Amino acid sequence: MLITILNLLEVAAWSGIAALGFGILFNIPKGVMPTVFILGFTAGFIKFMLMHFDIHIVLATFIAVFFIGIICMPVAHKIHHPPVVFCIPPTIPMIPGYFAYETVLSVMNFIFMEANQAKRVELMDAIFTNGFTMFFILISIAAGISLPMLLLRRTSVKKLKEEN
Amino acid sequence: MDSSKELIKTVDLLLEISSLLMVSGANTNRVNLSIDRFAKALHFNTSCFISHKSIVMTVYEENTSLSCTRVKNIPPYAINFSIISAISKASWTAVEDHWTLNKIATEIEIIKNQKRYPKLVILIAVSLAGAGFCNIFNGDYINMSVAFASTFIGLLIFQLTHREGYNVYLRIFFASLIASVLASLSIVFKLGDNPETALATSILFLVPGVALINSFTDFLDNNIINGLVRFTTGLMTVLAIALGLFIAMFLFQLH
Repeated sequence: MLITILNLLEVAAWSGIAALGFGILFNIPKGVMPTVFILGFTAGFIKFMLMHFDIHIVLATFIAVFFIGIICMPVAHKIHHPPVVFCIPPTIPMIPGYFAYETVLSVMNFIFMEANQAKRVELMDAIFTNGFTMFFILISIAAGISLPMLLLRRTSVKKLKEEN
Repeated sequence: MDSSKELIKTVDLLLEISSLLMVSGANTNRVNLSIDRFAKALHFNTSCFISHKSIVMTVYEENTSLSCTRVKNIPPYAINFSIISAISKASWTAVEDHWTLNKIATEIEIIKNQKRYPKLVILIAVSLAGAGFCNIFNGDYINMSVAFASTFIGLLIFQLTHREGYNVYLRIFFASLIASVLASLSIVFKLGDNPETALATSILFLVPGVALINSFTDFLDNNIINGLVRFTTGLMTVLAIALGLFIAMFLFQLH
């Protein structure tokens, strides 16, 4: 149990670092860095915790990103930066890189290398499984980050508070 | 000041602001919002057409027949969230404190000349991010250091070719090719437990995350054309990355 939690924390910490690294690539303001790290950490923690409880990676990603989408509104008021600045970097570690790699690998084997019919069917299965998992994860990232804003907003985050 | 001259100056300033926002990676809705706020501070009305490569804008006053329309070409894109944040803040203060045209212009000039992080800091941060990715996909510490090194070299190539002014997709292709060739070596020499993860994550620094997320939010805001353009640029980037990876895997006969 303790080892599982430690593993989760380590993976979450690396998610935070990855988020921060991309934030620096996108030139985020210095003051936002802790927020980006914490959001990346939390999102990673949520995603991998859910996956530990056997929830499918697509749903887990959606929930983690949706959480970022919701939390970014109160945070935007607190740190006085527009949500895009600290919402996009924490979602980057969710990108399904490994599924993309597996898809490319299977496509290449399917086209250039494998002649055995049974193995070719297996490869087709791999192409579809990995390709569509990648596709659905991408959709859940995009939908998860923009849905909370669309559900709640009038015109901008700052106006929300003024109306309340 | 002559009122028509003031109008021209206003259009130029607003065009400058919107092109800065587009280049920095704001979505179309945010550009429109910021323009409206600045225009409100200056007591003008605006209508504009924003596309990926140029912006057309008309500025007019409510009760006069005076108006001015100008077009501005957008320079090459370079994502910069500091600028988005600074312009957003400036737009709120401009409305609250009733900034004049000159005050806004000097403020924008200051924002424009902000420095980016040093190249070395970016290199190390992004390489650490690559190592982090590798950990997320079950890589051990050896795989992570391979991912770190290949991301570092790949991004270095990407930055160096920027100075030479090559086509951006060609640069992405080369960066992806070199990063994945380096990471493939770790599969050939069987370094670490999951050398494949190092290969899969060594190219993720090129992923067009901002373009794809902005494309989706543009679609939801009914800015279909801009959304399509962003999606297409994202897709082109992904194709360039995949081609580099593909060639590296073919060279090393990985399967």
